[in-house]
Amino acid sequence: MVEKLMGLPRSRTVVHPGPFRPVRIDRMRDEKGRHFRLSLPGGRTLHESFVQALADEGVASASMTLLGGELAELGFCLALPDPTGRVLATYGAPHTVHGACFIFGNATLGSSASGTPVVHCHGAFRTADGAVRGGHILTERTVVGRRSVTAVVTALDSFDLRVVYDDETRMPLMRPQARRIHG
Amino acid sequence: MAEMRMIESGRMGRVAYARIAPNEDLVSSIEKLCLAEGFGNAFVRGALGSLVDACLERADGSCQVIRGPAAEIVSLAGEVRSQPDGSLRAALTGVVADTQGHLYGGPFVAGANAVCVTFEVTLEEWLPSPGNN
Repeated sequence: MVEKLMGLPRSRTVVHPGPFRPVRIDRMRDEKGRHFRLSLPGGRTLHESFVQALADEGVASASMTLLGGELAELGFCLALPDPTGRVLATYGAPHTVHGACFIFGNATLGSSASGTPVVHCHGAFRTADGAVRGGHILTERTVVGRRSVTAVVTALDSFDLRVVYDDETRMPLMRPQARRIHG
Repeated sequence: MAEMRMIESGRMGRVAYARIAPNEDLVSSIEKLCLAEGFGNAFVRGALGSLVDACLERADGSCQVIRGPAAEIVSLAGEVRSQPDGSLRAALTGVVADTQGHLYGGPFVAGANAVCVTFEVTLEEWLPSPGNN
């Protein structure tokens, strides 16, 4: 069979500042995901609502799909090349938008090395002037508005998602780890 | 006009989470994750991260390239399906933001979407019921 070549672009390789880590896919498996549907109320931050609602169910690690809602205040930032060259890409200064429509997004709940809950969230939104934008959502600075945000959650119970310092990228990154025994 | 019909019934099985490292291809990494976990078919539950440059397929088969580095994936949906020869094939569509926050959407071209810093994905195994056509 002759395959038609479409002239696809050749993907670029980037060089991170740290040593190449031989493991390229860190993975863990759960025999069954628990599922939840959350309604995140107005007046509270996305971070506070996620963490509280899931902690009440004993969930410390989860993947979430966020569905539309209204944001009274939205904090976000964009990934930019690092002018100092210390890392390949870094987050720019935080932007704040008042009164945005959240379109959709994805988020991961995990924890820091010291056990504090961490939410990593990317999403798309429409600002009051009608512009549609997206990027890294700062969930601690994002407050839900009158129309609640819905989150569909898959809880990961048999392992932890933990933010660890990654030597290759020099960034703290979420990685699956064997479950820490509490107590 | 063709009638709408249900093509498959089944249930969700195991769940896998992975962190994919820089320069690995988005589409083939998700296929490799399924191979490693023994998932024949899977559905993407949640995914976020960044790409060196994003490459989305246009209707005419050409590509739209969104330059990074660090084009951010703001949403992704898709599935992995077993092929008749036993190989796996992922079909992924999504929305990416460029370094100004402008959005672009479409199918991710296999082999042309290298991870920039990190990519996080949760896959749920799809188990078709016996007797599906």
